[in-house]
Amino acid sequence: MIALRATNLTKQYGNKTVVNNLNLEITSGSIFGFLGQNGAGKSTFINMITGLVRPTSGTFEILGAAGNSLDDVRTRIGVLPDYSTFYENFTALDHLKYFSKVLGLKLTTEELKKVLRDVQLEEAMNTKTKNYSFGMKKKLGIAQALINKPDILFLDEPTSGVDANSILGIHSLIRKVAAEGTTIFLTSHNLDEVEKLCTEIAIMNKGSIQTKGTMSELRSQHQKSITVYVKHEMIDSETQQKLTIELSKLVKVLSISATHSEFIVQNESAIPELNKYLVMQQVNVYRLEVEEASLEEIFLNLGVEVRTA
Amino acid sequence: MLAITLREFKSLFQSIRAIIIIVVLFGVTVGSAKLVSQFKSELSGLGLGDNAYVIGLMLLLFLAAPLFVTSISHSSVNKEMESKTIRFLATKTSRENIIFGKFLGNISFWVLCLSIALLLIVPFSKSFYFVDLIQSIIFVSYFIGLSLFLSTVVNNSSLTMFAGIVLSIALPVIGMWSLLSKNVAIDAISYLTPYFYYTHANTSYTYFVLIHTVVFVMLSLIIFKRRDL
Repeated sequence: MIALRATNLTKQYGNKTVVNNLNLEITSGSIFGFLGQNGAGKSTFINMITGLVRPTSGTFEILGAAGNSLDDVRTRIGVLPDYSTFYENFTALDHLKYFSKVLGLKLTTEELKKVLRDVQLEEAMNTKTKNYSFGMKKKLGIAQALINKPDILFLDEPTSGVDANSILGIHSLIRKVAAEGTTIFLTSHNLDEVEKLCTEIAIMNKGSIQTKGTMSELRSQHQKSITVYVKHEMIDSETQQKLTIELSKLVKVLSISATHSEFIVQNESAIPELNKYLVMQQVNVYRLEVEEASLEEIFLNLGVEVRTA
Repeated sequence: MLAITLREFKSLFQSIRAIIIIVVLFGVTVGSAKLVSQFKSELSGLGLGDNAYVIGLMLLLFLAAPLFVTSISHSSVNKEMESKTIRFLATKTSRENIIFGKFLGNISFWVLCLSIALLLIVPFSKSFYFVDLIQSIIFVSYFIGLSLFLSTVVNNSSLTMFAGIVLSIALPVIGMWSLLSKNVAIDAISYLTPYFYYTHANTSYTYFVLIHTVVFVMLSLIIFKRRDL
């Protein structure tokens, strides 16, 4: 089932095209990561999909409702928008009470406190938000997006400005919410975060999606080479020399030692061939490890600027 | 919508402004009632009613309500746009609910202030002027609609404060001027102010002012729906 579908979605500010004919489909239940450098159009896309910004052209559908009927599904959507602030004289609990009423929900104080507990904000729930740090505000932003137990949750940079300990808490919360069946759409600069959390990833550059898929699909599409480490039985120097010559015809040999060898292959199909060859040469393989490309490498291969956490 | 209405109402009513407005409405109405009772026949000829207390209240509203209303309602939308708190609301409810909620919150505040002021006058006047209360509310609704419109069109709350002050001075002046002027342009503009309708011999004309209020609110909604937040 499709949770979100965007068709030729475009946003222009004057002559500047921020999102350009973007087409995207997100399957229900997935954790979808939207990556891209600053100004790539990630936030503008979320803002269009959540009704904060009007698309210049194109259409979208969310939870089966067309973009112009977004009000019909608002109670099923949770949003942590970018650049948002809170009512200074409200506490975290006041905010959740107010927002739950705006959504038309009748939640008890206990239920709201539980949401604050989930984002590790329970201790500060009666503190006015004007006294909150940036990270605390971010957590409250996540809490307000979760009060309606949404079917689809949009998180725009959920961990930026948050301390390392809290990031782990937010990650586990995202996983928990996803496990309960919520589709999650998150944007991030943090490649490690996206790689760890997301089941599907799209890389956006200059308003368009440059590539999209699961991590393994992205690797197979964009990984230029694969490093293979082999732990094998003890071999003598003559065999080492022979293997170096013979295997050089098949793969790039980095090193062959008595018990370990290291190769670079161009694609995954060369790995079983390498293994087969070693077995044919009566070299017993104990362990074969493949070093997969990280998202950072894929980014680099795509020529997109990288910023790691 | 009800949640937004209540929050708007509470934020206005919990401030010192509510007490000041009630005290001013009550004090000036009672004080001016004593004064206007000397010119009762002249003022009632201008459509200001025939009760000294009502005349006092309406005079105060004619002259000061624009300033009162615009000073407290000029930033009801753009302040939230400046602070970006509107982004949370807009992802949780429709834009209609936001605009109508803000309008209803403001009007509720004024209904309460005017009602309390008129109730405080009862021991002096020995009666409660219900029809005059409705007419006062309609008069005030014009300026609430106008403030909401300004607040939706103009992003900067300082600018809407300034525009509100200018309009608070200009509208009563134009309204009163049109009563005496034979100038066609001034006459035409007077139809856009509430003063024309409130100074007409036929008091039912005052209800036409509601059309202006509705137009302001609908324009605010149309503009707000087209805005990127």
